Amino acid sequence: MDSNKESLCEEAYFNTFYKDHFQSANNFAYYKCGDQTSALDLVQDAFSKIWENCSSIDFTKAKTYLFTTVNNLFLNTVKHQKVVMNYAKAAPYIDTNNESPEYILEEEEFKKKLQNAIASLSDIQREVFLMNRIDGKKYREIAEILDISQKAVEKRMSGALKILREQIENI
Amino acid sequence: MKNEKDILKWFNNELSPKEIEDLKQTENLETLDKIAHYASQMQAPQVDVQKALEEFKTRKLNKKETKVKSLNLSTFYKVAAVLVVMLTSSYFLFFNTVKSFETEIAQTETLLLPDNSEVILNAQSKLTYNKKNWKNKRDLNLDGEAFFKVSKGQKFSVITDAGVVHVLGTQFNVKERDNYFEVHCYEGLVSVTFNNETIKLPPGKTFRVINNSVEINDDFSANSPSWMQKESSFAKVPLVQVIDELQRQYDIKISTENVDTTQLFTGTFTHSDKNIALQSVTIPLKLSYKIDGKKVVFYNYEGQ
Repeated sequence: MDSNKESLCEEAYFNTFYKDHFQSANNFAYYKCGDQTSALDLVQDAFSKIWENCSSIDFTKAKTYLFTTVNNLFLNTVKHQKVVMNYAKAAPYIDTNNESPEYILEEEEFKKKLQNAIASLSDIQREVFLMNRIDGKKYREIAEILDISQKAVEKRMSGALKILREQIENI
Repeated sequence: MKNEKDILKWFNNELSPKEIEDLKQTENLETLDKIAHYASQMQAPQVDVQKALEEFKTRKLNKKETKVKSLNLSTFYKVAAVLVVMLTSSYFLFFNTVKSFETEIAQTETLLLPDNSEVILNAQSKLTYNKKNWKNKRDLNLDGEAFFKVSKGQKFSVITDAGVVHVLGTQFNVKERDNYFEVHCYEGLVSVTFNNETIKLPPGKTFRVINNSVEINDDFSANSPSWMQKESSFAKVPLVQVIDELQRQYDIKISTENVDTTQLFTGTFTHSDKNIALQSVTIPLKLSYKIDGKKVVFYNYEGQ
């Protein structure tokens, strides 16, 4: 454990840690604040904290520390904004065989509804849902990162799905 | 929402394609299917991690440098200063471990050594020992006269200018004065080394060197030296030694007129009354004395 602690203070080791987790931490920050610049700042600040406190952070907890710090910094500084997620450019429709204009229109409409529905989720529901969907993380991983129980993650996920479904079907 | 657990499993990729099909049979999950599909196509802004790291380094490195300066230099000097103070003080503490005791004229002192051995110092004597090495080496330096009651343990050595006395655990008296070295053994066995010669001294025996002539007497049966009862005893001791002892016990200067100071004296004088003491020395030797302040003159009254 001691050697791990020290290695987080070592630049090479820290760089690896930084590269491994920067993108997912940035995603997480983005799910929270919905603003790219703010997200980037949050994550850089969080990494600064880790670098400054490298000797006192248990290596096995460093990842959790990173996300917790991002979360705390977010709560301290950033105002809530509407989080609108964008779709990837090359995004196939669910039925790849159906290319009728009607179908395409219908699907585009659905995507808009989904964006709006996601924006209406609470912070904690949205971050769990998007970490699962976009980052492809398992509930267990999310639980570990957020330092909560897997049951809590499942509850948030379940709540998120319920709201999304209701919103989309009712509009 | 029915099948909540299975839906959660589905989103967590824990269901096989067949199980997903089964799940879809039980409920209309078209919306959820679409949610799962399209939500996965969403994107968080992609970051150039390498670039971000470089940016991070520029601002972090500055921070780290200032941190190193303020932290390391000041604490380094603090630590260095504390170390210097500690080292110098500990040098004096640890290397100056010699304990020393000294008695004045007409004074005795009882000391307890670290191993509970007892030492009683007679008048005008000096005892030193090293406190730090005491556990390994019970060595004492003695200049004068002292009675020792030694606890059992390691070799116990009394080093004097005249000779060395070794014991293991016993009671004995050592008297080392000018041209006079005397060891009384009261209990146990004492080994006396004098001029590279070692003599074992059983209880009740006295080892004595006067003017470099060695003699061993077995002439006493006391349990402790007479000076501890505030008396000085002598057995065939030259008068000059008796006079020295008188001067030690009473703050006086004794001079002699026409007196043979090499004649032997056997007897005792008290430490509590100067006149009685002077009488008990002079009368058996057919001498007389006169006192003038702190000066005492012995003279041969037959001759006058």
